[in-house]
Amino acid sequence: MSKTYEYVPEPALVKGNHDFKSITALVTDINLRPTPKAWYIAFGFANILLFVLLFSIGYLIWEGTGIWGLNTPVGWGWAIINFVWWVGIGHAGTLISAILFLFRQNWRTAINRFAEAMTIFAVMCAGIFPAIHVGRIWVIYWVFPIPNQMSMWPNFNSPLLWDVFAVSTYFTVSLLFWYVGLVPDLATIRDRIKSKVGKVVYGIFSLGWRGSNRHWWNYEKSYMILAGLATPLVLSVHTIVSFDFATSVIPGWHTTIFPPYFVAGAVFSGFAMVLSLMIICRKVYKLEEIMTIDHIEKMNIILMITGTMVGFAYLMEFFIAWYSGVEYEKAIFILRATGPYAWAYWIMITCNVISPQFFWSKKLRRNVAFTFVISIVVNIGMWFERFVITVSSLSTDFLPGSWGYYSPTIWDVATYVGTFGLFFTFFLLFLRFLPMVAVAEIKGILPQADPHNYDEETGEYEPKKIQVPEPLRENV
Amino acid sequence: MSKQASDNQLYGVLAEFRNPKELVDAAKLVNNSGYKKFDTFSPFPIHGIDKVMSLPKSKLGWIVIAHGLVGLIGAFSMIYFMMTQDYPLIISGKTLYNFPAWVPVVFELTVLLSAFGAVFGMFFLNGLPRLNHPLFSSDNFKKATDDGFFVCIESDDPQFEPEKVLDLFKKSGAVHIEKIYDA
Amino acid sequence: MSDQPKQTTYWKSLNELAQNKEYEKFVQREFPEDATELTDQVSRRSFLRVMGASIALAGFASCRKPVQKIMPYSRQPEDMVQGVPLFYATSMPFQDTVTGLVVENNDGRPTKLEGNNEHPSSGGGTNIYNQGAILNLYDPDRSHSPKRNGENVSLSDFISFSAEHFSNRDQRVLFISEATSSPTQNRLKQQALRTFTNAEWVTYEPFSENNAVEGTQLAFGQRLRTVNHYGQADVIVALDDDFVSPHRHQNSVENAYRVSANRKVTSVDDTMSRIYSIENNFTATGSYADHRLRLKTSEIEGFTYALASRLSESVNGLSAYNGIENEFSDHEWVNTLAEDLLSNRGSSVVSIGKEYKPAAQAAVAAINLALGNNGNTVTYHELPYRENRDENQAFSDAVREMQNGAVDTVVLIGTNPVFTAPADLNFAEALENTGTKVHLSDYFDETSRNCDWHVNHAHFLEMWGDGLSYTGQRSVIQPQILPLYDGLSEIEFINTIITGEESTGYDLVRETWQSYYPSDFDSQWERILHDGIEPDSGFGDVNVSLAADFDSAIQPELSYEPVSGIEITIKPDSTLFDGRFANNGWLQELPDPMTKISWDNVAMMSPKTAESLGINPERSFSSREVPVVRISGGNSTIEIAAWVLPGHADDSITLTTGYGRRNIGRIADGVGVDTYPLRTTSAMLYQPGEVSTTGQSYDIACVQDHHSLEGRDMIRSASLEGYKEHPDFATYKNVHGYEVPGMEEAREEGNEHGPISLFTETYGSYDDQPQWGMSIDLNSCFGCGVCTIACQAENNIPVIGKREVSRRRIMHWIRIDRYFEGDEDNPGAYHQPVPCMHCELAPCEQVCPVAATTHSEDGVNQMTYNRCIGTRYCQNNCPFKVRRFNFFNYSKEFVATGDDPEIIQMAMNPDVTVRFRGVIEKCTYCAQRLNRGKINAKIATGSRKPVDGAVQTACQQACPSNAITFGDITDQDSVISQDKRNERSYVLLEEMNVRPRTSYMAKIRNSNPELVSPPDLPSH
Repeated sequence: MSKTYEYVPEPALVKGNHDFKSITALVTDINLRPTPKAWYIAFGFANILLFVLLFSIGYLIWEGTGIWGLNTPVGWGWAIINFVWWVGIGHAGTLISAILFLFRQNWRTAINRFAEAMTIFAVMCAGIFPAIHVGRIWVIYWVFPIPNQMSMWPNFNSPLLWDVFAVSTYFTVSLLFWYVGLVPDLATIRDRIKSKVGKVVYGIFSLGWRGSNRHWWNYEKSYMILAGLATPLVLSVHTIVSFDFATSVIPGWHTTIFPPYFVAGAVFSGFAMVLSLMIICRKVYKLEEIMTIDHIEKMNIILMITGTMVGFAYLMEFFIAWYSGVEYEKAIFILRATGPYAWAYWIMITCNVISPQFFWSKKLRRNVAFTFVISIVVNIGMWFERFVITVSSLSTDFLPGSWGYYSPTIWDVATYVGTFGLFFTFFLLFLRFLPMVAVAEIKGILPQADPHNYDEETGEYEPKKIQVPEPLRENV
Repeated sequence: MSKQASDNQLYGVLAEFRNPKELVDAAKLVNNSGYKKFDTFSPFPIHGIDKVMSLPKSKLGWIVIAHGLVGLIGAFSMIYFMMTQDYPLIISGKTLYNFPAWVPVVFELTVLLSAFGAVFGMFFLNGLPRLNHPLFSSDNFKKATDDGFFVCIESDDPQFEPEKVLDLFKKSGAVHIEKIYDA
Repeated sequence: MSDQPKQTTYWKSLNELAQNKEYEKFVQREFPEDATELTDQVSRRSFLRVMGASIALAGFASCRKPVQKIMPYSRQPEDMVQGVPLFYATSMPFQDTVTGLVVENNDGRPTKLEGNNEHPSSGGGTNIYNQGAILNLYDPDRSHSPKRNGENVSLSDFISFSAEHFSNRDQRVLFISEATSSPTQNRLKQQALRTFTNAEWVTYEPFSENNAVEGTQLAFGQRLRTVNHYGQADVIVALDDDFVSPHRHQNSVENAYRVSANRKVTSVDDTMSRIYSIENNFTATGSYADHRLRLKTSEIEGFTYALASRLSESVNGLSAYNGIENEFSDHEWVNTLAEDLLSNRGSSVVSIGKEYKPAAQAAVAAINLALGNNGNTVTYHELPYRENRDENQAFSDAVREMQNGAVDTVVLIGTNPVFTAPADLNFAEALENTGTKVHLSDYFDETSRNCDWHVNHAHFLEMWGDGLSYTGQRSVIQPQILPLYDGLSEIEFINTIITGEESTGYDLVRETWQSYYPSDFDSQWERILHDGIEPDSGFGDVNVSLAADFDSAIQPELSYEPVSGIEITIKPDSTLFDGRFANNGWLQELPDPMTKISWDNVAMMSPKTAESLGINPERSFSSREVPVVRISGGNSTIEIAAWVLPGHADDSITLTTGYGRRNIGRIADGVGVDTYPLRTTSAMLYQPGEVSTTGQSYDIACVQDHHSLEGRDMIRSASLEGYKEHPDFATYKNVHGYEVPGMEEAREEGNEHGPISLFTETYGSYDDQPQWGMSIDLNSCFGCGVCTIACQAENNIPVIGKREVSRRRIMHWIRIDRYFEGDEDNPGAYHQPVPCMHCELAPCEQVCPVAATTHSEDGVNQMTYNRCIGTRYCQNNCPFKVRRFNFFNYSKEFVATGDDPEIIQMAMNPDVTVRFRGVIEKCTYCAQRLNRGKINAKIATGSRKPVDGAVQTACQQACPSNAITFGDITDQDSVISQDKRNERSYVLLEEMNVRPRTSYMAKIRNSNPELVSPPDLPSH
């Protein structure tokens, strides 16, 4: 004779009692509803910024790199800083969709679509900078191994060339990964949308998906493999970006700690950015039941961990500089903390190392407003990290006679601000026309999706109970 | 069944079920009754349905490996040719065959081609893109991407007989059954 | 046109296209023969020329070869070979000396000036003014035609005017000419004075030798030129005598190569002379000296008397100074100097800046005489062309006469007194009170504007002439190109005034020289044209003895009191001199050797003085702004940027002249502040002044922002004793106390090149190719910057203007880092020229994504401009930061804009690519010269290796003190190999294992143990 006990399940991944239909409606109705005014306003702002970007690039090509604040010791400035910063942000998406997928973190399904979109747009913003920061933009294609009249090839010893391949590969794979995930949901919209044009467009992009389980079979396999490929890729990208610095000879750049340190930083800033965007969207689009407070808490924990890792890296840099005994290394790190760029250094420390520590408190972790603030602070901090690394090392390197201070011009700023225009233009289009949550995947993690959660006879839905034998007792 | 519909050639019979469990049961039944050319449809992949449909192991893995190898070897030999054979240059006094420096590019290209294999291989195996399909002629089938669970037995299955199939579905408790004609 | 300057100026502004109607008209008018030549010559010659030079109008240069026959410098065939430059000897006149030069001509365009080895005033070296002269030749702002009351007229108009005007021989004619040593001009001067019965001729120079000459008059009763043979002296006491700098000494080049030769140390057995420098501001000589004492300018005189009085106790002939007591009488320096001088009698020299008053000059002369230096280290010479009178006095008298309206006609030959004359003379007003004013000048300048007639002066490369070197060797000036703007030379001008007819300088010069060679003139003449100089000529020595009444005569002059408060000292500028080079972009942009400021003049002061004025002596690293001070002296006031110069004397402020020009040209206009208003006849050198801060600030383009070595080992130095004790003090091991990591292991592996490595290096094949290397001897460098200008001239490096320089984008391929070390009030200064190091394992190469910078077979780090996409990654990864980036289209701004687009282009070196926007450039070791050398060697011997010395880089060739050696390091006997074997030789950042081909030789100071000397470096 046995007794049944209710077992305590994990907090449900989707709050509220949703079934398949309501999930579909919740997400895809956003795309099917007529476009809200607010969207147009936001889109307008984004477009203005985008125009700022295009104009500054146009002027740059017309006049020359000189319109930026660069000078002779400091050959790389905001352009490269922004590049590294955006690429860093572009890490969260693929990380969430690939690594968390491999680790079977089902909570990822609520945010992966969203994060991947952010990734792709961030990498687009990043990609602009290496392309336009060169002196002769019109021959930038020489970095690709294309036969040319000089019968010369690119130099495969150059980290900058590695970058070209790393970033473009990363972008392509992320895009494919994202699209594969989108296909079933596009089909969903195809089947629900009323407008003729919509039917055609979504029809084309959903490739005629019809939810066949023979397809799902290959589909899941493909998704698994992609995740397996994207995982080393996402780690390699910022590793290679860090090689731009790590393989050089400049004090403060020439460090073996860079690859892991850059990756940690990338995850850090990426998650921060996802949080900032997600916190706004879940409110605006009433998705709190899918992107729950539990998600925010989980991400805050990651923020706290990666933030601390970055902080550790900062300390390690100092230790190694001292331990190496190289006078130039020692000098540059002391100069960073006390020299002409100390202000930037301390902004970086405050934003990146100190601010995430608040998340030790569960209360703050689950406080949406607070999280939002911190997520912004972190991204500011990560921008300054790149600033400190890029500029301070160049400005005070080996020969004191060639030391020089760097300060940006209005055009540096305009170009950077402009990239937000590009980013948000695309992001708003995404929110408007694509399902911002992976509908099919969410359905897949609902308890209703598990055939075992149904009664054998009636076939009615009824969540599983576990049989636990009653403990034996001895009669005294 | 309307007239002009009957003029068209029968594609198969489509049955809708209430939930994943019943879909799995139905699939098992259909499979056991020896049908080969049948398929099940659901808004999301259903755990364990591959067994009851006794689906073969996916060939995708081989496609990906093939692509990966092409990327690996292709990238390496390209760089080798460019750096040591076609236009050798003295760069920082490094050896021409400077393999360690080539690893990143070789790696990236390997991953890139593997990814192509994974994505396009999958679409290829699934016969996608296919923008029109007889099933799309059924309005009810639209639920397949929302909350509908379907089984379809195709007419070109050797032992396909419409009446038998209809009985089978009725027996297995389908909530809605319809014949699908080639458009 | 230069008299209506544009707001935007052609290398300051960033876009202004070349084309311009005026210029086409100008071509038609001025060069009819070119127009035809251009139209009918679509020949291979002009085609090749254009190809080779990438210069649009090289063509019309080629047909402007002088019409008279001149001899090529080297024994080359007369007929020009396309693309192969010809070299001709000539001389550059500067005040009353000339420097012997060899001019490189490409297709009839002079493109580069080199020193003439056979000319004593050059010895193969040059100074920045010689190098800059080329740019002056092609300056589009030079006056293009004669002007009457500012209106362009033709030359014939002027000739007919002078024929008519000067037919009246009795009028009161006043000739004011620049100082010149030209025998021909002197001949014409005499002729003029004979012709015009009522004429007066005065020579005016704002910074002349006059006081020095007056000094000998006081001391010896004769007006003589003092020539100090610094090269022969073992002890040199320079009293504010910056004898290695062209702006302070007319013979700086000869001084530099002689004194540095005497200070070259190749082994521990060598000795070197000892230099003491006493000065108020930090001069090149002061930084070069073994000991430096900072005194106010007004104290130098007192110091001199104290020294004389101390010496008078031990030597005869100084009785006049016996018993003089002043604040320096028991100064440690006076005692130490006295001892050192006394123990080096006959082999020492005491010298004083030529601006100091005659009495001080006389004291110095007396000291040298008493020490028995005369005839050994000091000689005196009579100047054949000099009036026996105080020329400054004569000039002031003449101007006063003009004020009184007593002058009918004033003829100004060169000179720009309206700008440069002492303020109290008010020369502009004097001109107004004068009848007819005729002015010959390069530019339509301040003086021309106040004259009825302006005649445009021909550049010395366009004219026939002659002159005497500082020590009197007759030299000839031969034209390299017909006058671009049809100007007149001084002698043609004077002759026209005398005769009223046009005449060619050629005839005038030959006429003069005929008297030197009565027999066989023509062959002698050819020899002179070939060598550029008559070697066996020169001033004869004059034996001097103290004037009989010296003691009594000097007493009244000895009254001396230093300025009690702040003194204002006015000196010529290191790059613009008295302002005559103000429109020269190269010189404007060349940083001052000590302050490293380009494009401006400043008020230099010591940190203490700055503090007392409430100015922060620490310069902000992040800002270019410096405070502006208001300086009043006499009855004028100027406002100028204050500059804190460590090592400057306290309570003393040094200003330089030549800036603040107006309506001269695109370069000169509005740059810096005119300081002449403070300069009066009573205060030619220094005066008490009022200084206060204005609260405003001003942007200064300083090319070096950090002045301390931070204890790093870039510069290594030791005292002579220290060197003799530890000859290898400069090696990495001895500097750091340990060896470069990995060296030992490498040696075990039998690799001597550098530390153990993960891979086997592959660079230049050592057998059939030369392997180039350079060595820079810091012991010979005093930071004059001539290497920078020579490089700029040779390699077509653009001038980018103040705004770009202040953004730290200066394009110089070889920069000179200047470091101050030691006590901040009285530091040592160290100069370090930094060209590309041409690392064998160059960090810049591996990072270029498109392989635009790679290594050549002969071990040179090359830039492929047309492959470069401009990522600037190489620049970042260069540990020496020698790579330069074309942030804008600098070359286009520099060579192709302005009224006369082609003129500047004519100055370009056809063998060097003109770089375009967006590419990196840097020192190439003068690749074009290397390759010419290799080709010639291949033709001559079949081997690609030129003989040692056959190939010289531009910087090496220009350096007056031969600090730079260059050559093939595979040739064990070459000078470069010997230098690199020398124990003083070291490379920068050796521990990085980049293996620079450019190495340095440690600096050595022959310090006197009695005195504190600048610290030995690195000072850990």
